[in-house]
Amino acid sequence: MNTPSKGFVIVASKNSNFYIYATNLAESIKDFYPEAQITLVTEERFIDERADVADTIIHCDNHYRAKLWGMAQTPYDITMYVDADMDCEHEDIMTVWDNMKDYDMVFHELTKEREKFYAVRYFDYQGKREMYTLCGGVCLYRSSNPLVREFMEDWFELFNKQYNNMWKPDGFDDEQWRRDLKHFDQTTLWWLVNKVEKYKDLKIGFFHDDIRWNYFTQYGYENLKSIEGKPPILRHYSGSLKKDTLIV
Amino acid sequence: MARIWLDNAFWETPRKEILNAISEEQVDNKQTREVHKLNKLNNDGTPNELFNEVIEFLGEEKIDESTKKRLERKQAEAELDKQKKIEQERSKKLEKLFEYKLETFEIEEIKNSKNRLLKSKLRRSKSIPEVNLYAMMIVKDALEDEHTK
Repeated sequence: MNTPSKGFVIVASKNSNFYIYATNLAESIKDFYPEAQITLVTEERFIDERADVADTIIHCDNHYRAKLWGMAQTPYDITMYVDADMDCEHEDIMTVWDNMKDYDMVFHELTKEREKFYAVRYFDYQGKREMYTLCGGVCLYRSSNPLVREFMEDWFELFNKQYNNMWKPDGFDDEQWRRDLKHFDQTTLWWLVNKVEKYKDLKIGFFHDDIRWNYFTQYGYENLKSIEGKPPILRHYSGSLKKDTLIV
Repeated sequence: MARIWLDNAFWETPRKEILNAISEEQVDNKQTREVHKLNKLNNDGTPNELFNEVIEFLGEEKIDESTKKRLERKQAEAELDKQKKIEQERSKKLEKLFEYKLETFEIEEIKNSKNRLLKSKLRRSKSIPEVNLYAMMIVKDALEDEHTK
């Protein structure tokens, strides 16, 4: 049996700062894991010599959530998607594949103690209080499984419809949908995982000591730590970077 | 119901001259709870009866014990707050450092440098002076390269 191919996918679209973040992230992964295979999904107009760090380049358009499209384009059997505005800080990045176990998708968990750092966690659906539990900042997935690949394609397509007012299932509060949920790819993720029959059997898990794999810098404000007392592997700067301001 | 005193009363001063205590009393089917800050003596120098009532009700030893527990709790809370502030500062510093590094990587000579080792050192720098140091080394390396061409 052939060894499955494994690699990272990083997506940078719409804003050139994301291209800078993405190439920096790719370099930082290779600092600790030189053999890492990295696919950079980005717009052709951004590409310069810094893209040399990537082993594969896939061109995307300037979509707001090219991330979801990029996840579906992975050339690997097992893929680790990482948000571009992150930085790799630890050699344990090499152990990422151990988290796949027999899961189809592995995420970082939105927990009670972390909820203050998320824009939205709770929402109403059919009169019941529901909550997001999966954070899409990082996602390890078995892309060799056709159903997982289909999931990623559906995530992108359904999010597009949701964002463009072409899809809104009954049961959501109109005001909350318009204000908090419509713009959020987490909403689509929640729907696909919890309400779509064909994805019911997908095995979804969390990274071991998952805080290390998506350590939002704001977690430090509350002194949130790894359960094993280990340092972050991937630090997420999403709340602190001035994404729309030119870096220089 | 006679007035009772909750067992979390504590001394406000080491000399035990001010006592903080909570009373509960049932008056006309209504339960009232009141927080008292009691001086040992009244303004005219006579003993404060309420003060003595609490000591009699709870016992001085019990008040000493809850004062000690309260102090330990407050110290632990203060330590936690201090740690939180340190961590918060550390996180903010890290955020600034990351932005500074991204800015440094935009310097033309650094952006175009192929010196992976030095660039990696710069990326892993723990402080702004360290970033500057490796930035200078990369620029120097680039200028030397240019000179030898």
